[in-house]
Amino acid sequence: MQIDASKCVGCGQCRPYCTMGSIKFIRSAKGNKVHCSVNEDECVDCGICQRAGICSTEALFQPLHGWPRSIRGTFSNPLAEHKETRVPGRGTEEMKTNDITGRYQHGYAGMAAEMGRPGTGARMRDIEKVFKALAKLGVEFEVNNPLTGLLINKQTGEMNPEVLDEKVLSAIIEMLIPLDRVVAVLEILENMAEELDTVFSVDLVSRVSEDSSVPTAKIMEKSGKWFSYNGKTNVGLGRLHVKGGISR
Amino acid sequence: MTHTLHRKGTTENLQQDYVIFSMTAKGFNEAGSRGALEKLLRILNKYDVANTGDMKTGNKFIVDKEIIFQNIQDTSIVHAVFTDRNQVAQALKELKEADLGVSVIVSGIVEHVDEACREAGLNRHTVEYSVGIRGNLTKLPEDEILEVTTMCGHGMVSQHLVRQMILDIKRGRWSGQEAAELLATPCVCGVFNPVRAQLLLEELAEIWCCDEV
Repeated sequence: MQIDASKCVGCGQCRPYCTMGSIKFIRSAKGNKVHCSVNEDECVDCGICQRAGICSTEALFQPLHGWPRSIRGTFSNPLAEHKETRVPGRGTEEMKTNDITGRYQHGYAGMAAEMGRPGTGARMRDIEKVFKALAKLGVEFEVNNPLTGLLINKQTGEMNPEVLDEKVLSAIIEMLIPLDRVVAVLEILENMAEELDTVFSVDLVSRVSEDSSVPTAKIMEKSGKWFSYNGKTNVGLGRLHVKGGISR
Repeated sequence: MTHTLHRKGTTENLQQDYVIFSMTAKGFNEAGSRGALEKLLRILNKYDVANTGDMKTGNKFIVDKEIIFQNIQDTSIVHAVFTDRNQVAQALKELKEADLGVSVIVSGIVEHVDEACREAGLNRHTVEYSVGIRGNLTKLPEDEILEVTTMCGHGMVSQHLVRQMILDIKRGRWSGQEAAELLATPCVCGVFNPVRAQLLLEELAEIWCCDEV
């Protein structure tokens, strides 16, 4: 995002909307005008300052960026749709349609590290560190996730070096692992804390067992690991034939 | 993806915060599903929902609800925010009877959602837990701010805007309700819960001091 200094009157209305806090007041070179300016290196191109519609002089504008800067917007702006997944935002359908896709089967867990979430943002350089640590465990990264598409080596977790300096609001490392590896993956993620200049939120998915228990909850309880009482439940109403839909 | 997970809060205030949403699976049952998704969102909106929306169009605080319904597409993800778990159970029961075939997901306290499913006669299929935040935690704002900002999982509600709203409430520029509904506008999906946000903001306005952003 950029601000046209000739239009901006320096009211500062856009500043609190900035998810990265990267809009500052500056004085023009001649010292005769104060206006707002975006720190473009910190800006993730989420676009919310412009969409909020609070600029009375329409000074905010989003330049059309080429590669690799273009990835900032596609990961950070929830209205941007990734070509590969056709899902807006950062990830995939994951467990939301698991009652249809069967992506997470009994005996397996879906895990994800949502890099930069909540509200901190993450450089791809930090994301690569987590990828590399997880790759050593031999986890299977979700092929349909747009972040996986930035890997040049899925076995080592090495990312395309062209993107490493780019910053996004958040991006999700998604993986599928056997249930008995959940704790090992979680411990790898916990050990990354000191190496990172960002935060990440951890997701843990599993099918509900026939006895109505959730196997991942049992694993976390048994290993003494914290998990929230809050979560997301697919209630199993999905069918291959949707009412009024076109059968596959 | 996971845009309704990781809503931070206490067991007390999260009891007013449930999101029911729906989508279809690409390559499986997506084609021609817009009618079923619209029907589902209309069913949910018969209840006293705090917010509703579709990422393709916006939420009820920025677009008329009827426009949201009419613009639903096969690829939409439609949402409604509930503040009462009994209404969640009733809505799930109604969705079961409607048998639309679209996937339905409920975010909220897992145990309560399980109870609501049982009341509706549903067997849960898959559960996703939030396992917390890791990394350099010094970069995070206060937990009280996170309770508000994490209600938009895409991170569109800035911590700075929350602080500004607290200050504006103190100065009498906005009521708690107005500030909460203004915070709901950047969250295009309509999963931000302004009813819960109002309670949190009014409490913070009483006990916090804030500087200009």
